[in-house]
Amino acid sequence: MRILVIAMVIATPLVAIFGLRNDFLVFIAGIALIHMLWASGLNLLYGFTGLIPLTYAGIAGISAYMTVHLVMRLGLSFWLALPIGSAAAALVGLLLSLPAIRLRGFYFALSGMVIQSAFTIAFVYFPAYTNGDTGIASVPRPTGFDGGAIPSPYMECVLALFVIAAVAGIGLTMRSRFGRTLITIREDEDLARALGINVTLNRTAAFIISSFIAGLGGGLYAHYIGFASPRAFDVLISLNLWLMVAMGGRGTLVGPLLGALLLAPLPYLLVQYTWVKDVIYGVAIVLVTLFLPQGIYGFVLKRKART
Amino acid sequence: MLEENLLVVFSVITSGLLVGTIFSVVAAGLSLIHGTILLPQAANGQVFLGAGLLFWLFGTEWEWPLWLAVPTTFLIIGFLAFACEATILKRFYPLEDRNISYLIITLGIAQILSGIYTGTFGRISDTFQVTAPVNGFAIIEPVPIAYTRLIAFVLAGSVLGGLVAFLRLHRIGRALRAVFQNREAARLRGIDTLKIYRFAFLLGTAITTAGGILFALAFALDLTVGWTISLITFSIMIVGGPGSVVGALVVGLVFGFTQAIVSVFADPTVATFAYLLAMLAMLFIRPSGLFAK
Repeated sequence: MRILVIAMVIATPLVAIFGLRNDFLVFIAGIALIHMLWASGLNLLYGFTGLIPLTYAGIAGISAYMTVHLVMRLGLSFWLALPIGSAAAALVGLLLSLPAIRLRGFYFALSGMVIQSAFTIAFVYFPAYTNGDTGIASVPRPTGFDGGAIPSPYMECVLALFVIAAVAGIGLTMRSRFGRTLITIREDEDLARALGINVTLNRTAAFIISSFIAGLGGGLYAHYIGFASPRAFDVLISLNLWLMVAMGGRGTLVGPLLGALLLAPLPYLLVQYTWVKDVIYGVAIVLVTLFLPQGIYGFVLKRKART
Repeated sequence: MLEENLLVVFSVITSGLLVGTIFSVVAAGLSLIHGTILLPQAANGQVFLGAGLLFWLFGTEWEWPLWLAVPTTFLIIGFLAFACEATILKRFYPLEDRNISYLIITLGIAQILSGIYTGTFGRISDTFQVTAPVNGFAIIEPVPIAYTRLIAFVLAGSVLGGLVAFLRLHRIGRALRAVFQNREAARLRGIDTLKIYRFAFLLGTAITTAGGILFALAFALDLTVGWTISLITFSIMIVGGPGSVVGALVVGLVFGFTQAIVSVFADPTVATFAYLLAMLAMLFIRPSGLFAK
């Protein structure tokens, strides 16, 4: 049943790709898929481990700039640069967040906000690598087997494969002993310690996996839209990725996919009025926190459990 | 040459004092709210910016007199703060770990406000310079200071002084301090904590509004100021200790001088970077801050 729902959610953008044959809609479907990947990775930390990583977009940004640098300056293949960039981003994120991982809920989120702000400033003030606020334009599309850029409907299928792999990986992880340990920590940190669980170690592992997925999304995003700028990876993006997980349903595999599908296309449909997007997202954050803390899918599950 | 250096030193001192005092005012408002309600008001920079923008709109764009422009700004923001407390913030008071929900909600509110400013004020202009109510310069020692900046400094100092006196001497101010020292004990002594929460939020917002108006009086505004001020005042609050007005005052001045000194040699963003590092270090070493009791 759950597999069916997941398949349907991932298939929605794919239907848009093959059914509609409209370049703009295909592009938006690709964007939604990348956000699905991001939201699934963030869900591992927020939904399953109970930490709000406001550094998430910054880590994606480090990977994006790194991948772009490796491809455009050093001439590496995108498919080699992407794992290197993602691993480097996960490592940087880990080093900076290591002291924070010991902190509880609010202080973890707050230090994440601080680290994220430092990332944004660094992106703007190291123009040698990032070209500052202007950003890096005409980033090439990922290359296929023939060495040329992967053309549009196929690129989106590659993105869908990434989402499927990530969701399957997270699903399997959560069934393992490690996954159950994470849920124990989320539910009751003191109890977990009393049971002899190394809370910091398990959180660190979850943080690394989550950051790596953030990095994959970052590299794919920059090369997919062909542009990398500090504004694409600032604290609001972290917050809005959090919103996708929270609105869809935290701690479920379907939730983040649903949230990303509903929210990610918005900024691209409102290109002329980006400020409207900020208002809509902000209102959604307030409403979800107030009235729908378990998210849309969590609400549906609860309704079903009651009947 | 010596003369010139002296001039630089004096201008660093005066601008450091002015910037630092305004930082202190805004951080004191933030610290008051967080210390009392456990509400990390991440939208405080947007409230600050909103105050400055409304003041600019009424006083400069529509050319209202000061006695009308300033109270109207306070009334509008006060009304919004009141509505926000009654409809949103109030619901979380019973929760023990509400600060995390509050952080997310206020970030959401910050995003709403920043979107609204971009869609309204952002279409009018990029920078907003308030027309000075008084022109001219005062010569203090060797450096000339614009009267508006002198006035902003004196008023910001009075706001801080008034706040400290209020918290120490007035009945409600003392009740407020009792709540942030020990909620349970305060309740047992017959203090209506819910009323104190509302009062603290409105007072903190009013102080932030005052900070915004004074900043607009002394410097030009642009729409990125909101986020910068949020970051700086959060750093001040965390380093100084949430709930401590003295902490906000001391650390605010230190940060103001850092900003002024760094601006002589490098981009002021370097200073922001330093604040963030200080805040991070403090979060890891001593989350209760330097001036916590």
